[in-house]
Formats: sequence, C-alpha cells, structure tokens
Amino acid sequence: MPGGSEPLISQQWQPVPGAPAAQIYPFIRKIDTLSSDSCLIQTPDIILLIDPGGFPEQAENLVRITEELRKETDRPVFVILTHAHIDHFSGTVDIPAFAHTGVFVFAVQEAGAAVLESGDGKMTQADLLGQAIRPFPIGLPLVTAERAGAAGIPVSLAFSNGAEVTITRGETPGGLAWERIGFGTGPVLDVYHTPGHSPDSICLQVGGLLFIGDVLFAANPGIAGLCGWDQSALICSLDGIESLLSSGTVEVVLPGHGRVIAAADAKRMFASIRSDARALENIAELNRERAIETAAFAEECMEQVNELFTIMAGRLYYVTYVMEELGEDDIAEEVSRLIKGDAIDELLEVFRSFADEHHKGGGVSIHLALKAGQVIGKLQRSFDGPELSRIIDPALVQRAARLLSDYTTMLRGFCPPRERAECELIGHLESLVTGLSVPACSDSDLLASDDDDSTFTRLLLNRIGMQPLLSDVTFTFSAGEKSLVVAIDHDEFKDLVTYILEDLVGIGADAITLTIHRDNDCALITLRGTGCTASDAAKTEGGFLGRLSDRAGGTLTSVTAGTEREYSIRIPGLI
Amino acid sequence: MEITTATRDGAIILSISGRIDTATAPTLEQAINKAIDGGNRKILLNFSAVTYISSGGLRVLLATAKKLKQPGDKYALCNLVTEVHKILKLAGFTTIFSIYPSEGEALAGW
Repeated sequence: MPGGSEPLISQQWQPVPGAPAAQIYPFIRKIDTLSSDSCLIQTPDIILLIDPGGFPEQAENLVRITEELRKETDRPVFVILTHAHIDHFSGTVDIPAFAHTGVFVFAVQEAGAAVLESGDGKMTQADLLGQAIRPFPIGLPLVTAERAGAAGIPVSLAFSNGAEVTITRGETPGGLAWERIGFGTGPVLDVYHTPGHSPDSICLQVGGLLFIGDVLFAANPGIAGLCGWDQSALICSLDGIESLLSSGTVEVVLPGHGRVIAAADAKRMFASIRSDARALENIAELNRERAIETAAFAEECMEQVNELFTIMAGRLYYVTYVMEELGEDDIAEEVSRLIKGDAIDELLEVFRSFADEHHKGGGVSIHLALKAGQVIGKLQRSFDGPELSRIIDPALVQRAARLLSDYTTMLRGFCPPRERAECELIGHLESLVTGLSVPACSDSDLLASDDDDSTFTRLLLNRIGMQPLLSDVTFTFSAGEKSLVVAIDHDEFKDLVTYILEDLVGIGADAITLTIHRDNDCALITLRGTGCTASDAAKTEGGFLGRLSDRAGGTLTSVTAGTEREYSIRIPGLI
Repeated sequence: MEITTATRDGAIILSISGRIDTATAPTLEQAINKAIDGGNRKILLNFSAVTYISSGGLRVLLATAKKLKQPGDKYALCNLVTEVHKILKLAGFTTIFSIYPSEGEALAGW
C-alpha cells in the first residue's frame, strides 16, 4: 500500500502521509470540465467527502462507500467543496442521501455558501454550462467574516449529524485567512481561503495532503475570466499557497481535476501559473454570450487551420517528392521531419469529431471553445515555424501561426485594439501581388550558388517549396487613381487579399483582375477570377473572410456567377 | 469512405466517395496498390464525391505518383470538388499529376 511521498492510487484506501490515523480514498478522473476529482478521508472521528463531482454515478458511488464505512463505525460525514462550481457538486443534487438523511453536512467557504443557498446560476457556472441549479442548504460555512473577529479563540459548533467541531481562526505566514477544524481526537483539517479562481476557493490540508481545488487551472485560457474570477486575488492566493508548499508540511498536492502532484513539482508549477496570471490584466468576463461567440470563431478558425495546415504539409511532401526524384534522399528525409503531418491530421480529426458530437447532442459552447483551445495549443507545438519558413512560403506559415494565436487571444478574453495605420493602398497592393508573382529565389541566384553545396541546397529547396501563387494565372492590376490613402490593419489586410487570391487560384481561375478605385469617400478593391472551375458561392458575409475584412478595416462582398467569382472590399474614410 | 472500381479504355478507374483522412487514407492506398499489383499501370481517381482530403491523403496521392512513372504509365485525378481542388493546387500537386474535369476528358487527354 502506498504511503509517505509516493503517488496516491485512485480508488484505493491508503494512509494519509503525515496523519497516520487517517486514510484516503482518491477518485481521480481524466481531466475534463464536466466533473471534478473526488476524495474520501476517514479518521476515527469523521468521514470527509471532498468535491463529490458533477456526475450522479460518481456521487452515488461515494455515498455507497460512505455508507459501508458508517456500518463499520458510525461517524458524521461532511461534504466539503473546494469551491461552488457546478462540476464539483452537481452530482449530488438528485441523490436522496445528500438531501434528506441529515447525515451529510455540506461545508464551503462563506461566499460559496451564499451562492449555493440562493441557487446562483452565474457564480456556480451553471448558466455557462447550460445547466439548471436548485438552492440547497450549507450546514458549515467556512472561513467566515464573523469568525475573523475571534482569531485564535476556538469556537465550538454542533451539527445535525452528531458532529461536534472546534474551529480556530488565524492567518498563515503567507497571508492566507485560515481555519483549523478539530473533529475530536483525530487529525485536524486546515482550511485556507485562496480566492481568485472563484471568490470562495479554498485549499484543504490533512496531514501532508493539500487539496487545491482548481487554482492550478485558474490562469488557463477558457478558465481565467469565469464569473467571479479575480486576477489580483489569484496572485495573492498563489503567493500564499507557494508559502505553504515551502513550509515543508505538504508532501502531495491534489488538484480538483487530474493526477496528484508531488509538492516539489507543484511548487514549480505555481511559479509558472503566477507568471501567466500576471499577464491577464483586463481580460473580458467569460460568460455564456462570450462562450457562444468564441465557439463560433473556433469553428471558423479550425476550418481555416485545417486548410492551411493541409496545404503546408502538402507543400513539404511536394518538396520531399522532388528531392527524392533528384536522388537527395537525406535532404528529403530532413524536410519531411519539419511538420508532424500525422499528428496534425489526428488533432484536426479530434476536433471535427468533437464538433460533430457537439452539434448532434446540442452541446455547450464553452466545451467546444475549450476543445478548440486544447487542439490549437497542440497544433502550435507541432510545427517549427522559422524552419518551415525557410522552405515554404513564409506568409503561409505566418498566417497559420497568426490564426492560432488569434484564437488563443480570443479564448483568453483579451480584446486587442485594432492596429489601423495609414496606408497608400495602391503601392501596398502592388507590392503584395508582386511578391505573389515572382519566385522567392531567382534563376540567377540559384545558378550563382552552385559552388557552395549548402547554399545551393537551401536555395533549391526554397525554389521548389515557394511556388508563386500567381505564377500560373494571367494577372492584371488596374488602378483608377495614382494614390489612395486609407487606415487599415496591414497584417489583416494582407491576409485578406492573400486568402482571396488563394481562393481564386484554388478554384481554378485562369485569369485574375485586381482593380482599385475611388468610390465617393471609399476605396473599392475588386478581385475578379475568370475561367473558374467552381460554381458554388464563396463564404464571405458573416463568415471567416467577412470577419477578417472587418478586422482589416473594410467590408467584403462576393458574387459567383458561372465561371466567374468577384470579391469586393470597400474601405471607408479615404484620407 | 467508399471506393468502387471500374475498367474503361484500358484504365482502372477508382471512384472514391467521402472523406480521405487519417482513418481512411490507408484504405485508399491499399486499393490503389491492389490495382497496381494486379498489373494495371493506368490509374484514374474519380474524386467527384470526395469532400475532404487530409495531409495523409495527399501523401497517398504522391506515393502513387512515385509508383507510376515508367514510360506508358498513366495517373490522373478527375471531377474534383472545389475544396479538394484548392488544396491540391495550393500544395503544388497539380505539377506532379494531371487533373481533369471529367473521366472522359482524362481518358482522352492523358
């Protein structure tokens, strides 16, 4: 049986390190947002059920185990919530044992008690997760304002389940409000108030075990900004918890979700969380409306990500193919390692399956948004941007990276200001399309490099990998004015025009005409492809390109008729 | 993904429907290899009902191109939907094998 500083085993009784009279039965789940981990602790005096979770079957199982323990030795039971988020307790709401027997007394920090007794859908996150919540009574509010005035003086309380407890209030050296609860002669429970993830978040210590609720995830995209989240309180709490971890009394840390962590590892993780939390100033609240908006952007974004990554992987495979044809197998092998195509395909497939299930089952927006965040985080680690940019079009790689970053920014709740700057549109567009028309490496550069093997190889890869987008089409540029100055976001505008040109080339246009002229106080840019092989309508208004155009500073429309497709970008406010 | 096989004008035509992704790309590769191993050196892939191709699918298309490069070999794709055509075009694959609007044009033109 494990003990001491060894990891705890899920669903097995084992001694509590540092408290030999106590035993622990952890119920550790794979991390998700539906249900927390749970834990039972028994001492000769008491049974503690920490965070019964979001699933009725999880809570029922814990009730069954508790009843077996009480048959052996009848003891009072306290259900302690590390905070009043619905994934930590909603599994109990329809189980009669919790509501009617009087055996289970719920305990949560005072602010959480108010939330649960009033059935607050926002603070419990029930609204965000599309769930209903009914009020229920809290027998033991923890770390109360009332007891703050009696620091150091033990207060005795008696409960319906027969428990008699003694609570002593204090403050830790790290500045956390703290209560020590004695249940009899056995080990005590220390409760530390650690707001930030929620106002009522607490950490619990029994012997060498520290239960930390969800503070480990409090700075994560899609978690930071939840209703009740507080950046400055979180940073103070993190400082206080780090101080506890440094005190030497904690051996194992139990997060509210996922596996247990050794105290030394947790300390390193807390330093990183604090750094993340410090960067989260002025983020928007993550409520139901923002979750819906983020989920919609997630799906648009993933559609584009799917296309861009498939094209990037395809370009690399193409380069690999050509190098193999040239007998340069080593270089081909090296190039093929620059992108993890299979891993990327699998990630994209994971999101698609999730999104399909989400739409079939009427899923909750925040789950889709978080799934996209998880997949995008892994995609960001699956390719080496700078190395790829040496072989395939850097603009393609930058666009993919920017798309991933834009989504993470939105999920985090940041609202970056639109970076619009004055731009002479005609010169800007001429420069852009010139870059898309000529090879990145000219014939003369390639020929001049044949004395140096490594330079020749680099330029050859460059030449093969960077095929100019407009090389196979008849391209016409026509400007009705000499100069048109507008305010746009340069990067977004460049991406918009590139996406449009890629679309026209991709649907087989044999000729593309770009015209730009003044239309009252607007600049009007028209990109028309003719000889296209496709006839289905382009997605513009309200879609990904529409939003991109809006961010760039313009309005996008499109018309598809027969073998022609025309995009129009109208940019107001000629300067 | 479903694959039906037909013979026309001395060529094997594999008509594919559905998604060519991580799960289905190996099945496509097996079907193509079976045709080549059976002595067929003229392979036409009809993509009229292919709605999506992943990078794994692109790799199968390239692997086939490598196998069919002897004099007299023929390898082409036809009837691509817009999204798939766009991926192949932008990945640069249209310089490796030909893409035709229809089976008839492929068989007449390759």
